[in-house]
Amino acid sequence: MSLWLLYALLLKATVTSFSGMGSLPQVRQDLVVTNQALADDELSHAVLLGRSSPGPMGVYVVSVGYLVAGWPGAVVGWLALVTPALGAVPLLVVVRRWHHLPRVRGCVDAIVVAGGALLLPAAIQLARDALTALAAGLGPTA
Amino acid sequence: MVKFSRPTLAALGWRIAADVNRTVGGGLASIELMRQAFSRTGWLRDADHALLVAVSRFTPGTNVLAYCAGVGWMAHGAAGVAVALVASSLPSAVLITLASAIVVRLASSPVVRLVLAAATLLAAGLVLWSAWALLRPHVLGSRRLWASSTVLVALALFLGLGWTPVRVLLVAAVWGAFLPPRENGS
Repeated sequence: MSLWLLYALLLKATVTSFSGMGSLPQVRQDLVVTNQALADDELSHAVLLGRSSPGPMGVYVVSVGYLVAGWPGAVVGWLALVTPALGAVPLLVVVRRWHHLPRVRGCVDAIVVAGGALLLPAAIQLARDALTALAAGLGPTA
Repeated sequence: MVKFSRPTLAALGWRIAADVNRTVGGGLASIELMRQAFSRTGWLRDADHALLVAVSRFTPGTNVLAYCAGVGWMAHGAAGVAVALVASSLPSAVLITLASAIVVRLASSPVVRLVLAAATLLAAGLVLWSAWALLRPHVLGSRRLWASSTVLVALALFLGLGWTPVRVLLVAAVWGAFLPPRENGS
């Protein structure tokens, strides 16, 4: 697989998701199922490393890139990871320009409040995962 | 009283690299660490933080990277974006590549799993604190009725109907645009 195609496929996955791991179904479809550039267990390793590493959750695509094409693949994976973030700049410019309008401010406030509310289940899920892992690790071994 | 100032590019890059690359469990905890550091140093107002969070939730890809790009843009324009993105993603990208190359089985070690679980528990606490930091000015302010109903609707759509976060936020955007909060609490 060429590096350009790898970048395009990883970018397609990251740009159509709105969270770090949200790109996983598309990555699996394109790299495991359609192009067979990666095996399912390799993808699992990448996901496990992504979840275990410090930093953004979506960094697992760098590992995917490495597993497909070595170090150049890792660079391509990193580029596919950061490219969508550039979209924040025009969005920020537009929102700041119109932020004085009551409807736009109401819109932003509602997103902030709803976003804050959505953090609650995420935090609970994280805590539950951590407590389950701790309980399993501290429990008696067979 | 906090005096607001603009960080140097190096200071911005260092702060972002330090905060984003030391949490396990996703970028939400990193965003909270950055908020705390930025408000301590006077680099970002709470209102700007809230705006960046809203924008980052609507930017495709990884939320924390979009947040960092926005912080970089506010501080130093295009150069700030470049520094912020490199600082937030390159250290963990190098680390995960090395891990992929050398120790793919590292995460299967019981000791490592315990350490990671403890780190994730800490991240959960940071995420909860982040949620409170975002909600506090709204649910304790003069618009608490509007804010509380927004929280309830968002949670009902997400947990009750199983909607995706983006779909819930789109509904919130429409809700906020057509039923903007009033200062008397309604």
